[in-house]
Amino acid sequence: MAWMENKKNNLKQNVKMKTINNTIKMTSTFNTTKKLMLTLVFTLVSSTFFAQSIFDKFDGQEGVTSIIVNNKMFDLMSKVKMDASDKETQQYLSLIKKLDDLKVFTTKSARLENEMKAVADKYIKTAGLEELMRVSEDGRNIKILVKSGANDTQIKELFMFIEGAKNDETVLMSLKGNFDLNEIAVLTNKMKIPGGEDLKRATKGRK
Amino acid sequence: MIKRYAAALLVSLFLVSCNSKPSLQKYFVENTENKNFIALDVSPTILNVDKTKLSSAQSDALKSFDKMNVLAFKLNDKNKAEFETERAKINLILKDEKYQQLMKFGSGKEGASVSFVGTDEHIEEFVFFANKKENGFAVVRILGKDMNPTSIMTMMSVLQQSKIDLEQLEPLQKLIK
Repeated sequence: MAWMENKKNNLKQNVKMKTINNTIKMTSTFNTTKKLMLTLVFTLVSSTFFAQSIFDKFDGQEGVTSIIVNNKMFDLMSKVKMDASDKETQQYLSLIKKLDDLKVFTTKSARLENEMKAVADKYIKTAGLEELMRVSEDGRNIKILVKSGANDTQIKELFMFIEGAKNDETVLMSLKGNFDLNEIAVLTNKMKIPGGEDLKRATKGRK
Repeated sequence: MIKRYAAALLVSLFLVSCNSKPSLQKYFVENTENKNFIALDVSPTILNVDKTKLSSAQSDALKSFDKMNVLAFKLNDKNKAEFETERAKINLILKDEKYQQLMKFGSGKEGASVSFVGTDEHIEEFVFFANKKENGFAVVRILGKDMNPTSIMTMMSVLQQSKIDLEQLEPLQKLIK
């Protein structure tokens, strides 16, 4: 009987070993899943932090005036029940619905201007923008670029960089959404965006 | 088993994060007595409008506004360090998802932002935060029930008709002086 008992014990031990092994395995798989989760969480978190935009470093910097209008603002504005009988208001409302966010940075300092230029150049190269027009007059260099959407006039992003002459402001502007280039004229009429006049010319040139 | 632990951990994390989350409400309560601050509660009576002259849309809009709380930090020679820490605290509070930022303006020396709490058609609270390096900062909370974008625009029209009762704002004048 003793051998039987022994075998039983052995078996028990075996089972125990197996469960231990299993738990080890499980903890290791748990660890990997945990690691995976953690990396996932981190990448998600960091992407929301960093993917915002490369321009955010100018936000709040001394010498830079920044205006940032978020998606929510356009959302709310488009929900205002306005008297939409006049055509301009209608166009304005329909455009606002299509906008995502607006970022404008302006500066007068030469150091920041160079920094902005570097960032803008880098952005132009990496973001898949097409040049819409380029003007240089009286020492000012204006570049207007767009990221095209579904068709020719549909635009996902409008990017403008105005390199100021000596005492002029340097302006970096990015407007994201899904809108028609021709609609922008309405916006420049209603809001006072720096470089609005140049934009008007750009949109007219395309019509 | 592990799943259960993970779930429990997650839940407890949520609970912890809920509890320790700083809110503007708390911040206001904590600092009302602080001598660096000027606190001010403004009721809708400040607008001093003739209610009989309002349209029904306007009076509805007015009803959706509850009150306005203002907390201002007055900067002087001695509290510069506190100014920085307090400003950082508010920035941190406003980073919370609860406060959805509408827009922001900044120039290094001064800055302003507008955020809101709630959903598009049911806004509970508006937060204006403005700061200036030479003067200090101010946080304005506009509290209400079910404010919506249209009621805000209607309010603007009410404001134009109103004769604002400036006496209620008197403490704020100290800030400008």
